[in-house]
Amino acid sequence: MFNQAVKWTLVLGIFAVVAALGNWIGYEVLPWVAIPGLLVLIAISVLGLLLEKIVPGNIPSVGYIGLIGILVSLPFMPGSELIVAWTSKISILALATPILAYAGISIGANWADFRKLGIRSVVVALLVFFGTFIGSALIAEGVLRWQGII
Amino acid sequence: MAKADLKDILKDWRLHAVVLILVSLMEAIGQFSFKVGPGVILLLPMVYAFVVGLALYFTPIVSDKMAKNAEPLIVLGVTLLIAKIGVMIGPQIEALIEAGPALLLQELGNLGTIFLALPVAVLLGFKRESIGMTHSIGREPNVGLIVNKFGFDSAEARGVMAVYIFGTVFGAVFLGLIAGILATATPLHPLSFAMASGVGSGSMMAASSGSLIAAFPGMEDQIVAFAGASNLLSSATGLFFSIFVGLPLTEKLYALMTIRKHRKVLSQKGGSVNV
Repeated sequence: MFNQAVKWTLVLGIFAVVAALGNWIGYEVLPWVAIPGLLVLIAISVLGLLLEKIVPGNIPSVGYIGLIGILVSLPFMPGSELIVAWTSKISILALATPILAYAGISIGANWADFRKLGIRSVVVALLVFFGTFIGSALIAEGVLRWQGII
Repeated sequence: MAKADLKDILKDWRLHAVVLILVSLMEAIGQFSFKVGPGVILLLPMVYAFVVGLALYFTPIVSDKMAKNAEPLIVLGVTLLIAKIGVMIGPQIEALIEAGPALLLQELGNLGTIFLALPVAVLLGFKRESIGMTHSIGREPNVGLIVNKFGFDSAEARGVMAVYIFGTVFGAVFLGLIAGILATATPLHPLSFAMASGVGSGSMMAASSGSLIAAFPGMEDQIVAFAGASNLLSSATGLFFSIFVGLPLTEKLYALMTIRKHRKVLSQKGGSVNV
């Protein structure tokens, strides 16, 4: 268990180095300014990954990670101001770019499957994603307007 | 989680070096936007990173082993992204509770998929494949549901796999593009699109809300909090929604549409409708 946690931390560390560099180049935050925030995010992730292993039941790690992140940043939690200040130095886009870089590299392996999809399948798939996106946006718009929030 | 040994992945320095260089170059290029009609197409570094990464797979720079080793890094990278979203939701908790009804109800937006895509799938000549294709956005839990219910060799399973493969390869890029265009070309509020971004996949949400942030930089915190909360909600409820609403509804509508089609064919032939 401890061993596994160390490995997760190291892999997340590599990822954080790439993200810190992107954060510097793209969003002009010096890497040492981003370090405390990245360490906090790594700690939350490792804790969530461990909870998935320890706690019985089928809750995926991202569920725990999201909840821990929300809890430690709630305004009335002690220390939350510091956590929010540190993590705000890391652009969410700087975290997303390395994810999609790794995804692009790994998805090349699925390319053969993708090529086999006909044009008809692609048309339907496009509408599937478009449909849920516009459907959700229209409902959200209606309710938010009705509530007077926007 | 990752079946490959994380130790091997740690030591795959070529993979990390390629990603490091790729990310640095793409972030240095920065984002581009250009007007198309009333909307704006936004191209973000994450989109170039994905496309160039995909292209690199076909060069000697990236080996099959590296592609395999990259998989767990996506999973772990997404955990950092979710942690970041979590700490952006906390401070916005009051606004989110206030918008709770909208957050919950927009989960029904998934039905937009069925009403829009199912008729087209049937028109294009798909048979029971169309049920697998259009009952949801076809992520892992939905593939599991369809395979479980109809079997791995079924037409329904072929359908859901087609959408799954498309989504895996181009879901994030496509949602990123349409989020930018729709948010700038339609009068709908950016926060409505932020909620719509939470489709239940971390990378798709990141690409879609990333475009919204690029288009409305002043609303970054709110956009991420709303998209993140919606995404958590979709992940938690998505499967049950498919089981109890999405799939039964798709099957009903499919039956309805194919009966009509059947009747039309028969009446054209001058046959009886009551077959």
